[in-house]
Amino acid sequence: MLMTGDQYIESLRKLKTRVYMFGEKVDNWVDHPIIRPSINSVKMTYDLAHDPEYADLMTAKSNLTGEVINRFCHLHQSTDDLRKKVKMQRLLGQKTGSCFQRCVGMDAFNALYSTTYEIDEKYGTEYHKRFVEYLKYVQENDLTVDGAMTDPKGDRSKSPSQQEDPDLYVHVVEKRDDGIVVRGAKAHQTGSINSHEHLIMPTISLPEADKAYAVSFAVPSDVEGLFMIYGRQSCDTRKLEEGADVDLGNKEFGGQEALVVFDDVFVPWERVFMCEEWDFAGMLVERFAGYHRQSYGGCKVGVGDVLIGAAALAADYNGVSKTSHVKDKLIEMTHLNETLYCCGIACSSEGYPTKAGNYEIDMLLANVCKQNVTRFPYEIVRLAEDIAGGLMVTMPSEKDFKSDLKVGKKGETIGELCNKFFKGASGVPTEHRMRILRFIENMALGTAAVGYRTESMHGAGSPQAQRIMIARQGNIEAKKELAKVLAGIK
Amino acid sequence: MLFCGVKFCGGCNPRFERRKVLEQLKEHFEGRIEFAYAQEGIVYDILLIIGGCTNCCASFSQYTTKRGNIKLWDVSHVERVIEELEGQLSLADDAK
Repeated sequence: MLMTGDQYIESLRKLKTRVYMFGEKVDNWVDHPIIRPSINSVKMTYDLAHDPEYADLMTAKSNLTGEVINRFCHLHQSTDDLRKKVKMQRLLGQKTGSCFQRCVGMDAFNALYSTTYEIDEKYGTEYHKRFVEYLKYVQENDLTVDGAMTDPKGDRSKSPSQQEDPDLYVHVVEKRDDGIVVRGAKAHQTGSINSHEHLIMPTISLPEADKAYAVSFAVPSDVEGLFMIYGRQSCDTRKLEEGADVDLGNKEFGGQEALVVFDDVFVPWERVFMCEEWDFAGMLVERFAGYHRQSYGGCKVGVGDVLIGAAALAADYNGVSKTSHVKDKLIEMTHLNETLYCCGIACSSEGYPTKAGNYEIDMLLANVCKQNVTRFPYEIVRLAEDIAGGLMVTMPSEKDFKSDLKVGKKGETIGELCNKFFKGASGVPTEHRMRILRFIENMALGTAAVGYRTESMHGAGSPQAQRIMIARQGNIEAKKELAKVLAGIK
Repeated sequence: MLFCGVKFCGGCNPRFERRKVLEQLKEHFEGRIEFAYAQEGIVYDILLIIGGCTNCCASFSQYTTKRGNIKLWDVSHVERVIEELEGQLSLADDAK
């Protein structure tokens, strides 16, 4: 069943998810002005699946049930599926100008599907069968699932079991006949509050001494013992201001992160997909990270498309669209953005089938993709700020532009003066200029900067994590041999 | 009346307004061709695949047609597609 966007919203209302923000419990988090834009972004993943103009990317046929499902619940069956995943993410970035949060679940499904298959192959366990049943449930109900990997990690120089506080990584505290009890937390969890379910994975490769931390499982987001503490974003309280519209930049959409706490949560065995198989933690982490590094070659490109469009509009409204250096900056932004897309498409096209049958991306190219994502959005946003001009951060508020307070000697109001002095190109209403500058501000250093900038840096692993993978996959020895042959070295 | 299934690509970066092109074709063939969004299990006389770029990546092998497919991935193709569909209409008339 494909849910509609409205059905998705209603399904969230039925959950009893515990959410805390600014030190208080938020009861109606679905309609909370700070949270709602991020819910709208996820809603878009449901709405577009019903639109014939987008359905080819937004939906796929399940290999498990034969039914048409949302692509976010799909196991990639070919390189074409991998490419369509990236294209879908670009589309959603364009439609929301934000992180739409549902990718983490999709990437976790694909990583767990193949990893559980290989765990079972070695240990004779039944994790894969359990996971397939779980994924059928997710597909049939069109659920949003938070694929949760990142632990708080404490002292980075120490392994999980060496930490002063053992809870800094999610771990098993009790094994029972009917299931396990887990404790710990996952940090920076994108879209966690907007998810029906949480699908947990370990965060690093683990030695045998840390086998209690080698755990993967799924729980409903409102399971007993689980709660979330909302992560605040730059300029977030603008959303609480009365009549806020223009000043928000992007009123409708946004992203979301939270700390997810597991306060002795019980998980029945049928929802456990790894328990102490420490030697497979690295495989699961690597596969999830690989898919997620591919993802960024789509989602950030879509958001980049919007930012490039906004910068071009700012140039129009500032009256500089025909200036050669401005044109060149827009070309550079496009070049950088499409380079990221090239990486997303390339690592997809070079994909291959896993032992379980779903498709994996090319790991080297996916890591190159994400490494570029840690840099290019920063340059794109720098160029957008260059084109926009300083007004994007010095402009008076929307209330000033609408103020009737008379302050001029001839009785001019604050609003009239703001509209007079901030007018740009002729024929362009001042409000349009104000709106596009606020939009750029939002992406450059407001709430959306969380998704477009810092998430580009640290999401799916910080830059050094990709460099380690690039070093491992770079095939330097073969390159040495190539040079030796041509240089005549025997 | 000719029954034409329509399949859009997913629209990740279209170079033109795909829906507008479909509207243009619907207007041109009003009363002569019935356009409907393609669904599996339905037999179409012909399938029109509208892509937003040269890749025209829409999947379409799952659909059933009597006379194959026509692809369009640029606004400049509209004229050619109109000719092809006119040709299909003539064939249908001849068959009567």
